[in-house]
Amino acid sequence: MSDFSVRSDGIDVERIMQQIRARIREKRGVDYTEDEIRELASVKLDRFLDPKQLRSGLVEQFRKARESAPPETYDFEDTTIYESHRLPFLATIRRLLNPILKLFFNPNPIIHALHLQSRVNKRLVAKESLDYEVMSNLVLELTRLSVEVKNLRMRVESLSTRLDFDERRARALEGVVQLKPGALSPDLSTLGPERVPAGGSEGGEGDAASKAGRRRRRRRRRRPGSPGDEAVVGAGPHASQTSPGGDTDAQPDAEDDGPGTESSSGEDS
Amino acid sequence: MKLAVVVQRYGAEINGGAELHARYIAELLAARHQVEVLTSCARDYVTWRNDLPAGDDTVNGITVRRFETSSERDPIDFGLRSRVVFHEPHSLAQELAWLRSEGPTSPALVRYIRRHANRYDLLLFFSFRYYHAYHGIRAAPARALLVPTAERELAVGLSLFAPIFRGVRGIMYNSHEEQAMIRAVSDNAHVPGVVVGVGSKVPERTSPQRFRRTHGLSGPFIVYVGRIDENKGCKELFDFFLRYASARSRSLSLVLIGNSILPIPEHPRIRHLGFVSDEEKFDAIAAAEALVMPSFYESLSMVALEAWALGRPVLANGRCDVLRGQCIRSNAGLYYDTYEEFAEALLALTTDPALNEGLGARGRAYYRAHYTWPVIERKYQDMLERVSSDEAAAGESRLEPLPGWLARRHRTSPAATEVLARVPTGAVQVDRDGRSHVDRPRP
Repeated sequence: MSDFSVRSDGIDVERIMQQIRARIREKRGVDYTEDEIRELASVKLDRFLDPKQLRSGLVEQFRKARESAPPETYDFEDTTIYESHRLPFLATIRRLLNPILKLFFNPNPIIHALHLQSRVNKRLVAKESLDYEVMSNLVLELTRLSVEVKNLRMRVESLSTRLDFDERRARALEGVVQLKPGALSPDLSTLGPERVPAGGSEGGEGDAASKAGRRRRRRRRRRPGSPGDEAVVGAGPHASQTSPGGDTDAQPDAEDDGPGTESSSGEDS
Repeated sequence: MKLAVVVQRYGAEINGGAELHARYIAELLAARHQVEVLTSCARDYVTWRNDLPAGDDTVNGITVRRFETSSERDPIDFGLRSRVVFHEPHSLAQELAWLRSEGPTSPALVRYIRRHANRYDLLLFFSFRYYHAYHGIRAAPARALLVPTAERELAVGLSLFAPIFRGVRGIMYNSHEEQAMIRAVSDNAHVPGVVVGVGSKVPERTSPQRFRRTHGLSGPFIVYVGRIDENKGCKELFDFFLRYASARSRSLSLVLIGNSILPIPEHPRIRHLGFVSDEEKFDAIAAAEALVMPSFYESLSMVALEAWALGRPVLANGRCDVLRGQCIRSNAGLYYDTYEEFAEALLALTTDPALNEGLGARGRAYYRAHYTWPVIERKYQDMLERVSSDEAAAGESRLEPLPGWLARRHRTSPAATEVLARVPTGAVQVDRDGRSHVDRPRP
C-alpha cells in the first residue's frame, strides 16, 4: 500500500515521483540505473567461483608450471643488434657499416620496439608473482566459504527438522483441544513436563492406569485412517487454525459441542 | 473570414490523431468562419491509395475538396531513402526525394493551392512532415498557418523543414515540448506561436457499470486506448504489466482498446477488446483505475486529455517529453522510466484512493482550464485575428527560397539523428508569466 500524503488541493506530481524514486533506491540499496542492473544480471560468474568446479590442485599446478618453465627475459639495448660473442671486433665493423645499412632501412624503430618489449616482459614476470598471490588468496577464501556454506546447509537442515517437530507438536495440541463431548480430559504430560495440569499430580496407580489407557485411546484417534481421525476432522471448519496454546478460532464450535469439550479446552489453556 | 484546412486525409470515419484533430478544428471554426477542407483521396496512411473519389464532398456540413495522389508509397524505396536522410550526411535534393517517396504525393492539390490561395484569407496546414504541407506552404507562404503535430521524431531534424517553420505566418503548437523542440531546430522564435492542443467530444455522462457488465469485468483494471503497436510502447507495457501481475498484484487487469498490429500475450488478466464505439471507450476510461500511456513519441495524446476530462489519472511513459510535461503541468498523472517506477507508480495509483481521486480531480481541472472547446476556440480566434491584423506581413512571404539546382545537390545536410540529438530533452515548465523553459534534461 502506498503511503503518500495527499490532499486534493496539494498534489505535486514531481514530489510524488521523488518519493517513488527514493523508495526504489531504498529497496535496491544502491541507485543502479536500469541498464546497469541488466548488465549485472547478464554477467556470468566465473567458473572458479563454483567450489564444485574448482580443481583441488590448482595452486600446486600453477606453482609447478611457474617453476618448470621460467619466463625467458633478456635486456635489449641499442647496441644489442651489433654484438657478437665469438668475434668482438665484429661489433665495431657492424657499427661502422651502420650508415650503409641505414640506406636500406631504418633499424632504430625496431631497436626501440624490442627494447620496449623487454621492459614489458620484465613487468609481466613481476606481475606473475602477484597473480600467484591473488589466486592463492582466492582459493583460500573459496575454501573457507565452501566450508561455511556446508555449515549453513547443515544448520538449515537442523532448523527444518526442529520446525517439523514443532509443527507435529502443534498438531498434537490441536487434537487435544478438539476432543469429542464426553471425552475424558487428556493428559498432557506426554507433550512436556511443563504442560502437566495442576490436578494431574494427585491419585495413585489407578490414576496412572487410566492415564495410560487414555494415552492409548488418543494415539488410536491420531493414527491415520482410524475412526478417531474423523472425529477430529468433524470438529469444525476452523480446526486447522487452532493454535497450540488452545487459543483457537474453533472455540465457538467447541462451545456448541457441549460443556465437556469446553472443559477440555479450558484445561488445555 | 474564409479559411482552408489542408490535411493529408479527411473523413468522419478517419480517426488518426492529426486527422481527427483537423476535423475537430474545422468543425469548431465553421461556427464563425467559412471553412473548406483540402485533402487527398486517400483513406490509408501507409499506401495513400486513392480510395475516395476526387472532387467536392461534404462531411458534417463542411465542404471537402479531394485531390488524387499521383503515386502510392513504395515502402522499400521509402525505407532506403529514410535510412540515408536520417542516418547519413546528405543533400537537400535527397530530402526532397524522401518527402516525395513518403507522400501523399498530390501535385494536383499543390497546384490548386498555388492557383486559388487568394480565395482564402488563411490556410491551416496540418502535419508538417507530409508532402501536402511542405509543398502547400511553399505554394502559399503568405497565408499559411501551421499545426505541426510534431513528435520527437527524426523528420524534425531534416533541413528542408527549418525554413518552413521560420516562414509561415503562425504556428499552433500542441504542447510546450513541441514548441521548444521546433524552436531549437529552426530558430523560429520570431514566428507568432501559441500552444493550443485540441479538445475532445467527451460525453456529459458515462456508465462504468455498463462497461463492466458488458465485458464481465469485476476487478480493478487499467486501460490502454490506441493502436497496439511496438512504436506506441505496447511491447514494453506488456513486459512491465506481466512482471507486475506476477509479483505485485493478484487482481489488477489490463484492458486494451484499439486495433492490434502486435501479438498480445495470452494472459488471463490481459483483455483485448479491439475497436469499440466512442461511448464504450469513454465508459472504459471512466471505469478504469487509470489510463496507461506507454508511448515514447506523442505530440499531445488526446486520449490522456480524455482521461483527465473524465477525472481519471494517467500513468505515462516518462521518456516521452510531452507526456512527462503534461503530467507535471497538470499534476494529474504519474510517469515511469523503468519497471521499478512503473510498478511503484501503478501500486500507488491502484491502492491509494486519496491519491487516485486527487490526481483525477486535478486532471479534470486541467482539462477545463486548457482544453475545453471555448478555450481552444478563443486561442484560434486570437491567432487568426493577430495574423490577419498584421498588415505589414500580409501578402508578403518570409519563406526562404529553395536553393538552386546545383546547391540542392551538395551533401551539406547533417544526418537527422545528429540534429535531433542536439535538441534538449525533458519536460517544459511554464512560469507565471507564461514563459516556458526546459525544466531539466531527461535522465
